[in-house]
Amino acid sequence: MPAQDVRELRIVGFLCNWCSYGGADTAGVGRFTQPTDLRIIRVPCSGRIDPLFIVRALMNGADGVLVSGCHPRDCHYAEGNFYARRRLEMLKRFLPITGIDERRFEYTWVSASEGQRWQHVVTEFTRRIHELGPAPSFNPKSDVDWNALAVKASQGQGCPCHGSIQA
Amino acid sequence: MSQLDDLKTAIKSRLGELECVIGWEQGYDPLHATPLFIRSEADLDRLIIGPLAVHNLATYLTGWKGKKVGVVVKGCDSRSVIELMNEKLVSRDDVVIFGLCCDGVVSQRKIRAALPADPGFVESVEIGADSLKVTVAGQAATLRLADVQADKCLVCDTPDAIVSDFLIGKAHTPAPAPSLKCQDEFEAKSDAEKFAFWQETMGRCIRCYACRNACPMCVCRDYCIATSRDPLWVSQENLPSENMMFQMIHVSHLAGRCTECGECERACPVDIPLMLLRRYMNKQVRDVFKHEAGKALDQTPPLLTFKVEEERINERGW
Amino acid sequence: MEKFITKDNLYRLAEELAATCRVLAPVADCGTVTFRRFQPGMVLDLHSRMAAVSPKAATFPQTETLLVVKREIPEKKPEIIETLPEGKNVVLGCRPCGARGKLIFDPVYETDKIKDPYYLQRRRNTVFISLACDRPETTCFCHSVGSGPADPSGSDVLLTLVGEGYVARSVTPEGEEIMKLALFSDAGDKGKEADAKNAKAREMMGEAHDYASAPAKLLARFDDMDFWLAQSAKCISCGACTYMCPTCYCFNITDDDLGLSSQRIRTWDNCMSHTFTLEGSGHNPRSTKAHRLKNRVGHKFSYYPDLHKGVIACCGCGRCIKQCPTGVDIRQIVKAAQEYAE
Repeated sequence: MPAQDVRELRIVGFLCNWCSYGGADTAGVGRFTQPTDLRIIRVPCSGRIDPLFIVRALMNGADGVLVSGCHPRDCHYAEGNFYARRRLEMLKRFLPITGIDERRFEYTWVSASEGQRWQHVVTEFTRRIHELGPAPSFNPKSDVDWNALAVKASQGQGCPCHGSIQA
Repeated sequence: MSQLDDLKTAIKSRLGELECVIGWEQGYDPLHATPLFIRSEADLDRLIIGPLAVHNLATYLTGWKGKKVGVVVKGCDSRSVIELMNEKLVSRDDVVIFGLCCDGVVSQRKIRAALPADPGFVESVEIGADSLKVTVAGQAATLRLADVQADKCLVCDTPDAIVSDFLIGKAHTPAPAPSLKCQDEFEAKSDAEKFAFWQETMGRCIRCYACRNACPMCVCRDYCIATSRDPLWVSQENLPSENMMFQMIHVSHLAGRCTECGECERACPVDIPLMLLRRYMNKQVRDVFKHEAGKALDQTPPLLTFKVEEERINERGW
Repeated sequence: MEKFITKDNLYRLAEELAATCRVLAPVADCGTVTFRRFQPGMVLDLHSRMAAVSPKAATFPQTETLLVVKREIPEKKPEIIETLPEGKNVVLGCRPCGARGKLIFDPVYETDKIKDPYYLQRRRNTVFISLACDRPETTCFCHSVGSGPADPSGSDVLLTLVGEGYVARSVTPEGEEIMKLALFSDAGDKGKEADAKNAKAREMMGEAHDYASAPAKLLARFDDMDFWLAQSAKCISCGACTYMCPTCYCFNITDDDLGLSSQRIRTWDNCMSHTFTLEGSGHNPRSTKAHRLKNRVGHKFSYYPDLHKGVIACCGCGRCIKQCPTGVDIRQIVKAAQEYAE
């Protein structure tokens, strides 16, 4: 779906107060237009971000999650984003095993002066999420969907390491 | 003198100074062992080791904080002990480690698949050097231990306890398989297939937290955020999304700390293949930080520290 | 009423009932056997072993919505929608111990003062077609708690496997109604074979253990924390035992905030969890696993029998023993209390 599509998807952003939130501000002051899907949550530092915030957002139905902080070596609190870099990298690398498309989560570093870069990040990420479409939910929509999976499991399909038991 | 006799001698020599020594004894039926808390020589008589002694006893250590205890460990269990020590959750001075050179343990799931009737109907078991003679529902079957060995044993490169006060048994030269077939097959599936698998699987999860409580690295126990009401991370509702959320919490908190002992998967009463997630996370940790939890003392878990220059993390040019 | 139904016809029965009811049947699922809502095409697993999960979800689901509160516009008064369970349920192929679980619920959920509408609605609309056991597992002890491998109490129809089909016996009028369907045929003299099988299964279980002294003996251990510390040493306080148990009936009520709506849900609670007795003040009367195990064992074999005419709140299915990650054995604990030398 092109980014110009009227329908908004739900994209959550976690921005650090000092660099990225400032960068978003700069983008606003400079009147750089961006898609409006992204809703920002301001945190003091990217190091404050528990990777589970991103997971919870995705489980709650977010179609995409974007995290942005100060560039490493430029953290307002000196070390916060070093920890964030490790945690967020592990989360990004972990998502594939769950079947969640890891492209739905992105973390980046945007400083307070990089208004144009922020515009680019938001536009790019939103376009990517629209291309991926709305995120599937772990909860099957109806009993029918649920049962289709259960029927297959009872027939022994899909299970990687356990054999099925003979009836 | 057998390995068990040597072990008993070692334990006897230190029992007096310890609150207890944690080992195993015969369980509720011939196919199961159960943890044993040895406080006297009479208790010591009930001690067993061998392929049925699957439990990772390191999980009890944090519950004995402040007291001096002994624990019998296999190679994989010793990794958990080391990791607990590296995280300063257990003090080396407070534990007397009776390390075993382990020949592998069984997987009850594989035994079930190999027997002509459900192991719940077991009548007798004879453990041989490399076989298991099982009489179940009136039928006898001889299983090769190699065929019913737990998955973790197939890829184990630390069969002998890495750290110990006593190392008992014949040392091994490990020759592990490079990877597990089921893990490789699962990872090769498409996102949609994996997603559907977890949807269905998490549909049968009952959120009993057996996986969490069996995990030696899960020390928050009673204060785990998954059961916290304020803040509320996970709803009480038994939805696949909430059950999956719990798994994400567990695996995220284990990143860089999981020693792949497999207790979570073994503990699950509805046989959810939890290790698929954890082995994958450990692969990423190995790849990015060249770190494996619990392999050496005095290591810092990678997510508790940082480097200014990260060799293996691409700083994501946009 | 006594009839016969072939294995194929039993499957057809499941299909036929599923058209008008929710049918819960044991199904293999990636290495385990669990109860699933039956769908045509599903492969049933009635015989390899007893289902890991108990069928109590039919009358007491793990999550149930009590009411939903909706608000369309903030200024309007919120709309409260109470939900009572609808429709009929059939549990097909559970074991007698599983069906019996609800007999432990009944005196608690329907008293002179309190009648739980949700449970009662389901209870009245659920039929249990149970399958008698051919042989006991090493963890079975139903014969010691007043039941047995072919105990009809709690079931509406009891099936016994004979040859390529089942001898079916009705226990209640609802069971008889189902057995009037054409899928059931004349039993002939297969009834005698069924009796023999049931007797054989009971014989295989050996001598029953006498729990008559358990209530008093467990109470005598109430203040003996050393006893409970030793018994609970290997327990990891998870909750697998409670959730698997057909007779455990505790629950939690939570209001889930969903933005402009909220739902009040009732979910299974678990007395082995630390937060079970955690009070708002922060005080916790059962803060250790020793206290919690004492409560669980005491409740099943002491407090409940004292309140309810000596009925033990346990059906002897043994799930708690075999699903326990560390092999805590409730039989051993009660026996230790009974044999405790003062």
